[in-house]
Amino acid sequence: MSIQSNVEVHTEWGIVSARQAGRNLAKDAGFGNVDQARIATAISELARNIYLYAEKGEIVIQYVEDTESPVSKRGIKIIAKDKGPGISNIRDVMEDGFTTSGGLGAGLPGVKRLMDEFDIHSTAGEGTEITAIKWLR
Amino acid sequence: MDLDIRKENKKDFSILYVGGEIDAYTAPQLKEELLPMTENEGDKILVDLKGVDYIDSTGLGIFIGALKSAKSHNSTIELTGLNSRVKRLFSITGLDEVINIDNEKREEAK
Amino acid sequence: MTDSFSCIQNQYKEILKQYLEDKNEIGLYQAQQFSKKVLEHQISPEETLSFHLDAIEEFFPDIPHSLRDSFDFLLEVMMGYGMAYRAHQSLRDKQKELEAEINVAASMQQTFLPEEIPQVDSLDIGVISVPASKMSGDYYHFIRDENDCIGVAIADIIGKGIPAALCMSMIKYAMDSLPEQRLQPGALLENLNRVVEQNVASNMFITMMYGSYDPHVHHFYYSGAGHEPGFYYSQKEDTFEELYAKGLVLGIKRHTKFREYHKQVEPGDFVVLLSDGVTECRTEEGFIEREELIELIRKYKELPAQEIVEKVFYELERLQDFQLRDDFSLIILRRKV
Repeated sequence: MSIQSNVEVHTEWGIVSARQAGRNLAKDAGFGNVDQARIATAISELARNIYLYAEKGEIVIQYVEDTESPVSKRGIKIIAKDKGPGISNIRDVMEDGFTTSGGLGAGLPGVKRLMDEFDIHSTAGEGTEITAIKWLR
Repeated sequence: MDLDIRKENKKDFSILYVGGEIDAYTAPQLKEELLPMTENEGDKILVDLKGVDYIDSTGLGIFIGALKSAKSHNSTIELTGLNSRVKRLFSITGLDEVINIDNEKREEAK
Repeated sequence: MTDSFSCIQNQYKEILKQYLEDKNEIGLYQAQQFSKKVLEHQISPEETLSFHLDAIEEFFPDIPHSLRDSFDFLLEVMMGYGMAYRAHQSLRDKQKELEAEINVAASMQQTFLPEEIPQVDSLDIGVISVPASKMSGDYYHFIRDENDCIGVAIADIIGKGIPAALCMSMIKYAMDSLPEQRLQPGALLENLNRVVEQNVASNMFITMMYGSYDPHVHHFYYSGAGHEPGFYYSQKEDTFEELYAKGLVLGIKRHTKFREYHKQVEPGDFVVLLSDGVTECRTEEGFIEREELIELIRKYKELPAQEIVEKVFYELERLQDFQLRDDFSLIILRRKV
């Protein structure tokens, strides 16, 4: 199965569209309402980061399957990428309590905890790519 | 509790009025105000401690840091309006012999 | 995890059902107990909310759509609390880690302090040193030289807690690396001052009182570097006088001289050395006065030195509702009668 949604984020509408796309895919994949809300929230936070710091970027939401592990797993993968200023101190932004905008957002550590897998790659001046996966239980 | 800090520029010197308790929690606030003042070459700074009823050792440290900075920037720092408790602290630590403390200046500062 | 999770979900359903039937305080009490359980199992607010929705849908299959949907709305609102809850958990774990680290550091710091008080026939010595939190900025040290003279140092490092403790290790090593032969208190402070001056940040400093007791002639020589004055008790006069040694704190001026003072110690006389945590003991009515401190010591002066310092500490601790604001150190050296 290869269902995928690509959403451009450069306005708050983009954030809403990304949430919607993620929620739909999560629902189809069989996630319960709590996990749907978690996935939507994770997308929301990632999309807001793009909107606030990179001005524009893209959220890709995919249906994924892991056939290599002993028990095959299915889930939803979120990829958030932008060509913004990048993050020079990833260790700091992954630390609880670190906020750059003074906003109340739970930030990246919050997103990491909402999801099952989380990976971040960023180069200062080039951009950021964050991948997060939620597996169906 | 925050310190009450007010700065006033006179013709040939500046005054920093401080009020409250200078301890480990409020000392950074004083440092932020006082230290940059000492970095102006040749400036005269008067710190009015009338409103200060307590200084702990961290607070004293700020004045020492300011004094050292003043020395390296050719500025001068003077304290005034010390209550007896604060004065005793400066005297016991011997700091009254390295920092100018002048209670007479209090009238001038008004 | 999944098992206990569905088990807890079932329990929620049951107690909710019971409550909807009986509508009494017992049901609400169970709900309150249940909230402890969800916390214990680290179940987040949005999950608890979903327990509720699932149960309601089961109890009332005909629930209006819009009412059902309103729960999705509430769920979304609860997400923020859920994230805050998880952040709190992770911070709590981190705090535990930090605490464990500090505990290790604190026990390391204990090794900086003398393990035992020197035993001298003619002296009765009592020491107590209690940090306000886990790590201390107070330091004390005893040295016994080849002439049987007893050196005693008490030092207070600016601030308290970890920064002070780090600085304290420097003082410890500086003291250890002093020349073997007996130093006069003034010379010792001059030596230490050079080390401290070169090694501390511009706003750090250390106060110290150093004394040397010669048990052959019962002289006490002492010098001070801006340290809180102690007391001298004269048994003959039954008076306490301030034991003050004027001198600049360590770490300010490289070439500082320290004056040496001297006391002839008569039988029954004693020297009290303290850190400012003792005199800056603050109660609801304000700081305790030095006179009050003297009265406290006077009250217990007939006891052995160790008991005096312990009793005085206990009383001052009690006055402050058992919460120390600053590190507390008190040393008494008494010439035995």
